[in-house]
Amino acid sequence: MSDNKEKTDGLVSLVIDGQPVQAKEDWTVLETARHNHIHIPTLCYHEAVQANGGCRLCVVEAKEGNWSKIVVSCLYPVKEGLQISTSTAKVNNVRRWILEMLLAECPASKEIRTLAEAYGVNSTRFKIDRPTEQCLLCGLCVRVCEEVVGVRAISFGSRGVNKQVATPYMVPNNACVACGSCVTVCPTGAMQARLNMVRGNVSERTGHGHAH
Amino acid sequence: MNAATNSPITTSNEARIGVVLCECGHKIAPKVDLELLTQELKENTGAALVEIIPFPCLSPGLDDIRRLIAANQINRLVVAGCEPRIMLKKFEKELLDAGLDQGQIDVVNIRDYVASVNDGSPADLAGKSAKLVKSAVAGLEALVLTPKTKVEFNGPVMILGGGIATFAAAQELLRHEVDTIIAVQTEEIEDEIRMLHERYPGERESHDRLMKIMQEVDESPFIKIISVGELEKVLGRVGDYTVTFAAEGDHPPRIYQVGAIIAALDGEMQNQGSDFGHDGVKVLCHTEIEEQIWLHGAPTHRIVFWINDLETARPYAYLSAKTAWNIARHIKEHCVQAQVAILYNNKIKPPLSAAERVKARDLKIDWIPYDGEIRPTVQMGYVTYNDPDDQIEREISWDQLVLSPKRYPGLEQIKVAEILGLHVKEGEFLKRNPQMVRPEQVGLDEKFMAGSARQPCDLRETLRQGHRAAQKAVEIAQLAKAGELYAPRMVCTVDRSKCIGCGLCREICDCGGIEPVEGLGGNIPRSVDPMVCTGGGTCAAACPYHALTLQNNSTAQREARVVTLARSLTENECMGFGCNWGGAAAADHAGIKGLKYSDRFYLLPAGCIGQLDPAVIGRAFMEGANGVLLIGCPPEECHHSYGLDHTWSRVLMIKKLLSLVGIDRQRISLAHTDLNNPGQYVKTVESFVSLMDKLGPISRDDDMKARLKAVYDTLNNARVRWVLGASLRRPWETAYPTDQRNAIACDVTLSDVLTEEFVRTEIVNFMRDQRKVFELKEIVQSLKEEKQQVLDCLKELVGEGIITRIFKDRTPYYTLQ
Repeated sequence: MSDNKEKTDGLVSLVIDGQPVQAKEDWTVLETARHNHIHIPTLCYHEAVQANGGCRLCVVEAKEGNWSKIVVSCLYPVKEGLQISTSTAKVNNVRRWILEMLLAECPASKEIRTLAEAYGVNSTRFKIDRPTEQCLLCGLCVRVCEEVVGVRAISFGSRGVNKQVATPYMVPNNACVACGSCVTVCPTGAMQARLNMVRGNVSERTGHGHAH
Repeated sequence: MNAATNSPITTSNEARIGVVLCECGHKIAPKVDLELLTQELKENTGAALVEIIPFPCLSPGLDDIRRLIAANQINRLVVAGCEPRIMLKKFEKELLDAGLDQGQIDVVNIRDYVASVNDGSPADLAGKSAKLVKSAVAGLEALVLTPKTKVEFNGPVMILGGGIATFAAAQELLRHEVDTIIAVQTEEIEDEIRMLHERYPGERESHDRLMKIMQEVDESPFIKIISVGELEKVLGRVGDYTVTFAAEGDHPPRIYQVGAIIAALDGEMQNQGSDFGHDGVKVLCHTEIEEQIWLHGAPTHRIVFWINDLETARPYAYLSAKTAWNIARHIKEHCVQAQVAILYNNKIKPPLSAAERVKARDLKIDWIPYDGEIRPTVQMGYVTYNDPDDQIEREISWDQLVLSPKRYPGLEQIKVAEILGLHVKEGEFLKRNPQMVRPEQVGLDEKFMAGSARQPCDLRETLRQGHRAAQKAVEIAQLAKAGELYAPRMVCTVDRSKCIGCGLCREICDCGGIEPVEGLGGNIPRSVDPMVCTGGGTCAAACPYHALTLQNNSTAQREARVVTLARSLTENECMGFGCNWGGAAAADHAGIKGLKYSDRFYLLPAGCIGQLDPAVIGRAFMEGANGVLLIGCPPEECHHSYGLDHTWSRVLMIKKLLSLVGIDRQRISLAHTDLNNPGQYVKTVESFVSLMDKLGPISRDDDMKARLKAVYDTLNNARVRWVLGASLRRPWETAYPTDQRNAIACDVTLSDVLTEEFVRTEIVNFMRDQRKVFELKEIVQSLKEEKQQVLDCLKELVGEGIITRIFKDRTPYYTLQ
C-alpha cells in the first residue's frame, strides 16, 4: 500500500497522531488520515462530491513549527512537516460545541444524538426552535443532486435561521428524476422524510399513457 | 451508415480484471474478512489482481488504483465497496485517463448488501461477498468491449415547421456561425408579422424584438432561406438526416442532407363554441379582438375579458389571463374612455407582478374574481357570476365579451411531428414525456423542438425555446466539427444480419432511438440512433431474434453473472434482481439504515428491471437457483420505457413454464419497492426467503435438468418471444391484443403457444442428447408429456424438416436430422 520506501517527487511527509505518513501534495488531511486508517468523524463529507467544510466536525489540530491551529481536515491540504492531531482536548472541545449546536438544530435526529453521546454531549443549552427537525443543513443532498445526478432538483431555500433544504416554491420539482441519491447520502433521516415533497407523484410523471 | 467510424480506443478484448476491495472505514473491513475474501478471489477467479485499499474512492486510493492498473495492464475493474448508484460515476470520471471507460468498471455493494445488513462471522460474510464479487467478475469477463463510436455531422442544421421559433433558433445558430437552412412556406418577413396575432395575440410588445431578430437572420450569410412544399419524409440519425419535401408546381421533390433538425411548430387557436355565445362580433376570442384592434384601432366601449379556460376543461388559464392582460393594457393605453375588466376564476391567480398590479390600478383595469364552483352565465350585455367573497350573484355589463381561445397543436404541426417520428397522441400537445433518468442517460431529443405546439406558451417563451433548441444543435455541431462527438457507450446496437425488421422494438421503446424506416417497414433491418438511445434495454431483452444488444451492458454479461452466482448458491439460498430506481436503491437504503435481514438472499442490481431478458432468469433456474425475486419500481413508476410492464408479463410467462416443468410457480416472483421504503424491501426479501424455505430446493434429477434446459431454450425461442413482446397488456388495461375480448381467452392463447413450444424444445433437446431412432411411446415415456401433444409436435417438426420420420414394419420412428 502506501508504505513504499522510494520517495518520489510530489510526496510530502507529515505526522498524523504520531504516525509518520507520506502523501501527495493534492491530498487533503482527511484523505491522508483515512488512507492510513486514522478515523476522523464527518457529517457533511461524502466521497462522491466536492468537500465543502460545512459541518466543521472533521476539525483537527494542525501544528506547524510552534504554531498550532484548528483546521477542517476535509479541505486542508497536506504540507511537508505538518503535525496533525485528530483528537486533542482542543479538537474535542470544538466538536462538542458543534454537536451541542446540532442537537438544537436537528433534535429529532437519532444519528446526531448517538454521535453526540459518543462525545459526552447529552443535552443542549441552545434554544430548540423546531423539535421535529432532522436536517442539519449539511447540503450533501444539494451537492449530490447537482454533481452526481446532474440535475438541480433541490436547493437551499430562505436564509439565515430560516434556511432549509427545499425545492423552488416548495412544490415538487419536475427536474427531479426520483433516483433517491439525496436519501442515500443524507447523514440523518431528514431527506427520507422529505423526499416525497421533492419528487411529487412519480407515477404521474413517468406515465407514458398506454404501452404500444 | 457512414456516420459511424471506429476509433481505436481499445485494441484488445482480452480481459485483465482487477478487483479492489474497500475497507470503508470500519463499515466493511472488520465485519467482512477481507484477507479471506482476497485469497478466495485470487484462487477461484481469473482476476489478474486483488487488492485491499482502505478507501478506493479517495484521492490516495484512486492514485493506488491508477498505479495498479498501469502495473498490471488492467482493463476491467471491480470495486467491492458501496453503492454504484452514487460512486460509479466518480470512478468512471477519475479512471478515464487510466484507460477505463464506461462499462469497464463495476461497483459491487458489499457494504449495504452484506456487511451492514447481515449478522454473521467475518468468514461467512466474506463467503457471501465472494459470490457477489465473482459474479461481477464474470460479468466483466463476458464484456465485449465496443469501440467508441464517433458521430459525424453531415450538412447544415435545418429548421422546419415554419413556427416563429425559427427565427430565434436561426439567430442563435448564426451567432455561432453554424450553417443553417430555413425551410419555410413563405419567405416574406412582413407576412409572418402580419399573421402573428393568429397564434400569439396580445404580444405586440415583442414585435419590435422579433423584427430585429428577423432582420438579423435575413442578412446573415450563414442562413439560407428556402421556400419548400410540404414535408414528406425524414430519415436518418443525429448528424446524418435526409429530409424530403414534396414536389410543388414545377419543382421536383427536394431532398436535403442535414446534420440536425430543429422543428419550430406553433400551436393554433380555435374560437369558442356557441355555448358561450360566441358570434365573432359581440362575443369573440383573443385572436378576433386582436385583429379588430389591428384594423380599427382600440375600441372605446366596455370590454370584458372572461378567462373561461377552466370552464372548458383546459389548463391554460394562466396563459390566457396573461394574453387578456396584454390586450387590455394595450386598449387602455390607447383609449382612455374604454372600460376594461378581466373576469377570472378564483382557482387561478392573476399573472401579475407587483409593478403590473400598480399598472392595472393606474389604468383602471379591474381584475374581478368569480367563484369557480358556479359557472358564470352569459346574457345579452351581461355576465352573471358568483362573488367568492360574499356569495352574491353579481352582473357585469359588456359591449364586447372576449373569451379565451381553444388551443390545440394544429393539424399541420401534428403531421410534421409524425413525419419526424414523434409519438403523437390524439388531442395532446407535442411535448414528450422524457424518460425519468439522469440527464447523461437521456440521449438528445431526437429532433429539437420549439414552439407553442409543444406546450402552449407566449411569444417570449417560444423564442426562448428556439434559442434553447438551437443551443443544443450548436453544441453537437461544434463537437462534431472538432471531431469530438462520440455516441454514449451503453446504447443498443442492431445486428442487421439477425434483424428481420419486425419493428417490435420500436413499439416497445419510446425513447426514439430506433430509427424510422421508409414505408410500412416490413423486412427492413432496423438501426439505432446511438445519440438518442437511453440505454434502457427493454427492447434488447424483448427482441425475438436477439438482434438487439445493449452494448457494454449486454444480456450475455447479465447471463454470465447469473450463471456464476446461481452455480455458487447453496440449497437454501436464493437470488434476485433489483432495479436502480427501486429494488437496488431500497437495498442500498436498508444497508445505510442498518436494517438486518436474511443473509441467504443475493441481490444483483440492474439499470432497469426491463433489461432482464427472460432467458437470463430461465438460465438462473437451469444453473441452480431455487428462487428468483425481481424487485422493481412501484407500478406505473418505471423510469425507462415500460420496463416494469414487460417484466411483469415475462414473469407471468415464466410462471406458466415452471408449471409445465412441474415446479412451484412462486419460485419466480415480481415485487415492487419504493426506494424510500427500505423497511418494505426487507419485508419483501424476508417473505420470499421464508417462502423458499417452505418450498425447499428443486430436486434436480436428470429429468428435471432436461426440463429446466428446455425452459431456457423455450425462452430463447423466437415465436415465444414474439408473442410475449407483442401481447403486452398491462394489468389495468381493458383492451386486449389482437381481436380477443376475454382475459382468459387471451391467456389461453399464450399458454397454448408456450406449451407447444416447450414440448417441441423438449423433444428436440431429448433427441439431440441421445442420437438414435425413437418410437413415439419412447419419447412420450421419457418426456412424461401427453401423447397427443407430443404427436402433434412431432408432426410439425417433421413438416418443418427438423425431424425425420422413418417407417419400419409400419411403425413410425423418429430421428433428428
